[in-house]
Parts: sequence; C-alpha cells; structure tokens
Amino acid sequence: MKHPAACIQCGLCVEACPVEKVGGHAIVTFLTNPAADDYSVWLCSSCWRCHEVCPVNVDIYGLMMAQRRREDPPAGYRDAYERLLRTGWALAIDQEMLDQMRADEGLEALELPPADLVEALLDDEA
Amino acid sequence: MYPHTKMALYPGCLVLQRMPAYERASRAVLQAIDIGLEIVQQPVCCGAPVAESFSTDWIYLAAYNLARVEQTGHDTVVTLCGSCTNALVRAGRALQADDVRAEANRRLARWGLSITGPVAVKHLVRLLVEREDDLRARIVRPLSFRVALTNPCQIFRPGDLMGVAGEDPMAPRAMRRLVELTGAEVLEYGGEDECCGATLYLAAPKLSLALGRRKLEATHGEKADLMLQGCGNSQLLLRRFQRAIVRDDPALRQKALLLPQLIGLAMGLPAGELGLREAHAP
Repeated sequence: MKHPAACIQCGLCVEACPVEKVGGHAIVTFLTNPAADDYSVWLCSSCWRCHEVCPVNVDIYGLMMAQRRREDPPAGYRDAYERLLRTGWALAIDQEMLDQMRADEGLEALELPPADLVEALLDDEA
Repeated sequence: MYPHTKMALYPGCLVLQRMPAYERASRAVLQAIDIGLEIVQQPVCCGAPVAESFSTDWIYLAAYNLARVEQTGHDTVVTLCGSCTNALVRAGRALQADDVRAEANRRLARWGLSITGPVAVKHLVRLLVEREDDLRARIVRPLSFRVALTNPCQIFRPGDLMGVAGEDPMAPRAMRRLVELTGAEVLEYGGEDECCGATLYLAAPKLSLALGRRKLEATHGEKADLMLQGCGNSQLLLRRFQRAIVRDDPALRQKALLLPQLIGLAMGLPAGELGLREAHAP
C-alpha cells in the first residue's frame, strides 16, 4: 500500500482508534509508521474516528477499503461475502425462520429477495 | 394530535436475523407520536462493510434498496443500525452524480426499479430527537435508572456527511438528550463515544469482545442500572455476545436495552409491546 502523500504521521488517528486500544494494529499503525508490517486493513470497527480527527483529511476509510480489495480476506469476511452473493444477505436469514419470528412479535410479513438477485445486480455484463 | 406521517423502514440484517424486538419497540414508540412505518419488501444487504470490502459495485446494493424505498412512495427511510444508515447515506450521495445514477438505473431496470430523487435516510435517533417535544409530551412514567449509553458511531461520522449543524461528531448529544427526557440519568463513564467493537467481530472476534469488555468493566455493578444501545451492532455485541465476555467474570454481567425500549417504558407502554419479556424489563 502506498503511503498517502498528504499524511503528516501525526498519530492522532492511532490515539482515536478503538482497535489500537485493545492491542490490535489497524491501518492507522501504517499511516503513522509506513515501515510497519504488523498491521491489518481488516482490523476496523467502522467507527470513523480516525477519519474524523485527521488534520489533513486523508480518506482513511477509502484507502482501507481499496487495499482490502487487493488482499485475501479473512475467513469471516470471505464467508459473509459468499453468503451475500448467494442469498442477498451477509448473515444467514431464512424465510421460514423470519416468518415465524416476525409473527411472534406481531410484525408485518417481509418477503426476502430472490436468491439470485445480488449476483445479477453486481454482474455489470448483463 | 400530531399530523399523521408515514415513512419507509429498511430493517437491516441484524433486525431481520435476530432482533425483531428492536423493530417492534421502534414501531411502538413512533406509533405513539403518530409515525407509521412501512417495511421495504425484498430488501438486500446494505453493502457495508462486507460487499464494500470486495467490490466498488457495493453501491448498487444500496441503490437497489433506495429504489425499493422510492417504490413505497415515502420520501424518508428510517434505519435502525449505524452501518446501514452510513452505507445508504454514502451511496445516496454518490448516486447524485448523473453517470453513477444512470449505471444504477441500467442495472435496476430488470426488476422494474429506478431511482430518481434523493431519499432522506434517517436513523431512529435522528428521527426521535427531531420529535423531542412530541416524545416529551408522551412521557407518563419518568424513569429513575442510571444509564450507560453507547452512541451509534456511524450515524454521526464522518461528520461532513452524517453530522448536523452545531454537533460535535466526536461527542454527539442526540442520544443523551433522548435518554434524559425519559427522566433517566446518563452515566459519564468515558465510553459513550467509544466504539462497541461489533463490526470488528468478522475479522477478529477476540479484539471485538475485548472492546465490549471495556464497556462492561466501566459500567457493571453499582455504576449503572443498564447499558443502552441505539444500533443493532452494539446490541449484538453487548447483549448477545455478552455471555462470552462474562464467562470468566460473571460479576461483569449487565443489562442491555435498546433506546426505543427505554423510551417506551417511560411512555408507559407494556413491556411486551417493546419486545421485552417481563423478566428482562429493568
């Protein structure tokens, strides 16, 4: 990953990052120290705190997502994406279970999308 | 009485998979101030953070959901989680560009769908705080709990996109105001704006639970009567996954409620209508 030219390595993003607070090393470790090799762009809790505190407006979230698309994903992400392509949802949601659960809570019925919808939506050749 | 308003509801994966109580409580509280919700049919994943991590085309998932909202005829869609709020707002912004919208519409045409105008995406906290006066008028049973709240990160940041004038995106006060109008006291524990860690779970379960543990350590026992969430992600981590966190330290156990459940209790709504079993109501 290319270190963004605008970044002044001030470290405010590391201070703001919850992942760093519990001993993980996120993209902010790389931003503060471009030589670091003990970080992962997959370690993020989507809180946008780093993005918010950056004094030079580096698009940290965008940079992280772009790098993720170049890397092999962790198993949790890979499985979730495969399920999303297959069913429309990253979490396992079953129509029968959904009907039961919603009826139990007195909620209006909800129809899930056709199983092949997301693959068709993401297929730009069609 | 209030003017009757109808809005669309995008439920999101967590509500569909395991949190019907969140939807039920939200509907009950909104109904009390005469806002009705029509759920978006055949919704798909909002796109973030999973699809976004694999393809820039994630935006068409959000476009599809926004088109389904337009199909309902309502100009506002209510969201319950931070992730989908954030994803739908970011995608909605990108779809304002003519070329992006044209490509989205080309893809949506096979289902007879299209997007035309911007749709207002409003998280429950935003909607409720806009109707603060209506809510206050419905409080009949002021609460005396001490509440440790967690602000839903993604409805407030990035501030230039998600924020409102006069609000500090790093320390927003909307949710606190809603808790205070129930009569409950807000515990200052330093973790109000600290991430719950839920979305980290996909990549690193241990770190995710470690973040949840920080909240339990700061709020358990006498410090607070309950933790309060305004997002499915934080409810997932702090309530459903709490079992894994407290296994070695049962003293850390803490009640975890959702914002509309607390407001509903202060409105005197029955626990059952808020998706709370009597035994779990504080």
